[in-house]
Amino acid sequence: MTFRDTLGLALRNLGQAKLRTSLTTMGVAIGIASLAGMVSLGIGLQDQFVGRFTKSGMFDAINVMPGSVGQITFGPGARGRGGLGRRGFGRGNAAQVPDNARELTDEALKELAAMEHVKDVYPNLRVPVEVKYRGESEFAVAAGVPMGVRGEGAFQAIPYGRFFGGDSENACMLSLDFAKRINDQDPKGLIGQSLTLNYAASLNGTMQRAEMTCPIVGIVERETGPFAGAGGVSGLMVPMAKAKEIFASSLATAQALMRDPTKTSRPYPSAVVKVKSAQSTQDVEEQIKKMGFSAFSLNDALQGAKRAFIILDIVLSLIGSIALAVSSLGIMNTMVMSILERTREIGIMKAIGGSDGDIRRIFLIEASAIGFFGGVTGVVLGWIVGRIINLGANIYIQQQGGTPGNLFSLPFWLIGGAIGFSIAISLLAGTYPAGRAARLDPIQALRHD
Amino acid sequence: MVTVLETRDLKKHYRMGASTVRALDGVSLTVEQGEFVGLLGTSGSGKSTLLNLIAGLDRPSEGSLRIFDQDLAQMSSAELSLHRQKNVGIIFQSFNLVSTMSAAENVALAMMFAGVPRREREGHATQLLDAIGLGGRQTHRPRELSGGEQQRVAIARALSNNPHLLLADEPTGNLDSRTSREILTLLKQLNERDGKTIIMVTHDPALAAQYAHRTVTMLDGAIISDLAGSRS
Repeated sequence: MTFRDTLGLALRNLGQAKLRTSLTTMGVAIGIASLAGMVSLGIGLQDQFVGRFTKSGMFDAINVMPGSVGQITFGPGARGRGGLGRRGFGRGNAAQVPDNARELTDEALKELAAMEHVKDVYPNLRVPVEVKYRGESEFAVAAGVPMGVRGEGAFQAIPYGRFFGGDSENACMLSLDFAKRINDQDPKGLIGQSLTLNYAASLNGTMQRAEMTCPIVGIVERETGPFAGAGGVSGLMVPMAKAKEIFASSLATAQALMRDPTKTSRPYPSAVVKVKSAQSTQDVEEQIKKMGFSAFSLNDALQGAKRAFIILDIVLSLIGSIALAVSSLGIMNTMVMSILERTREIGIMKAIGGSDGDIRRIFLIEASAIGFFGGVTGVVLGWIVGRIINLGANIYIQQQGGTPGNLFSLPFWLIGGAIGFSIAISLLAGTYPAGRAARLDPIQALRHD
Repeated sequence: MVTVLETRDLKKHYRMGASTVRALDGVSLTVEQGEFVGLLGTSGSGKSTLLNLIAGLDRPSEGSLRIFDQDLAQMSSAELSLHRQKNVGIIFQSFNLVSTMSAAENVALAMMFAGVPRREREGHATQLLDAIGLGGRQTHRPRELSGGEQQRVAIARALSNNPHLLLADEPTGNLDSRTSREILTLLKQLNERDGKTIIMVTHDPALAAQYAHRTVTMLDGAIISDLAGSRS
């Protein structure tokens, strides 16, 4: 018997009992709809979460530190290495510094910038300065801001003024809090005013007081986030090149170089590596670690969040599966009933040359056809219900002042997977009835009324 | 003469609770090609059991059962289904047509299991029904046909895979006497014109004597007489 004939016979048999077939199919459809709907909700929520955080510019950044602090790791990776005390914070733990530990020199940064998938590399520079404005002075830390973060993170919108015009522009930006501390009444009025920055510099081995005048070009609102260099905001910000200038000529640098005459420049305490897309963050992070640096990224935390979403997906699909389990019992019931009804027919088919295998295949194909039609209907049903819930939820979200989004995501793999799963479950449910039909004794079956 | 069927000391025992029923208790029978054998006996004599064994619907408990020199006792269930497909055509008392299929579909179903392509089996089914006098009834369902017509469809189905051996189990048991004669005449025609070997179970000695070449009578699972009958 050919597959086509088996299929034809199976579909014909299903067509003979239209009501029963469609009720069973609807049962499967509801099961698949609830399963696909739940998984689609899980994926949708994950997309919303991951998508928003990825846009924040936090997940494509890797913080790199000299290899000598190699034991400081964040995220789940650290757990495997034992307790806090063994992570290298203690001074006595020098033995744990890796052999190829390297420092963040300008050459090292160039090397990092040349790596694949890397978009930008810049040091995290925070230099202490004394800020003077209209006779008042206070100590602050000036953070170097690279041109690359323009339009990213907190710099997406600048409330007052503008971003730096160029890397070596003589200018500074303030955070809104810092600006308010200087001028509580009218922080906006500070744009165009100049600050004087003083710092201790070393010139030809003697300590000097260096002075730098910089006009305020922009005021930015501070976004909560731990990484200033990765798009966050510091109180006082200067272009990166300016920060490097201050860093290179500072007294601290001169002292550091004096202690170690083999060096020509003082290494940076840490740097930020920006990758082109968040997907490659992990790979690049691994490579950087192999190069002898210490590195961590929020991607580690994102991985943790993703793991949490996998658990959410599993829980949601388990809930969805309950309906599918019920409908698979429905398939079994339908098939057993149908075999009971068609016992004589099965006997006839065996008597005129149908083999056990033929009979088994006819019933298995009937079951998988129910699974297929139920799966297709279920995906459509799940999609419609998802759209309706999404519509309602978005109206509510908008009323609450949130941004609407897709809570349900139905990727192609889920459509294909749901239909495939539906067929597989139906086949499984049909295995017992089909086996029972195949094993029927033809003589007994022919006596059956 | 080609031997179609040969049984040696064939036994079939059933277990019914604690006791054993000896449905067949040592049957030795040889049927040559072209014979029309009437298998007579009262109910419970074992004639239907013998027919079921020859049909490959059941397996012997002991003894040998050879059809065209193949031992059915040694066959797997898949081989038995092939045997039912190719070697024998079975005609039942209650016709046993699939009620949801038309006459032509019922005939074609047997060829479907044999793997005959769709066009070929549809053409052949039409041909067979035409030849058997049911040309205008191809698309009728069994319940729209008379008993005689249903039995003709069943005969067409039995012939569809062109077997050498036709097995008929009380083929006229559900028919009136006029229709019975028509069906038996048709079987006789198939035997004489087409050379089909026929084994027909009946409980009516007169019918057997009138149409069969040879009447084998059974009682309590054994053959008690084997006579060459008169040809009419």
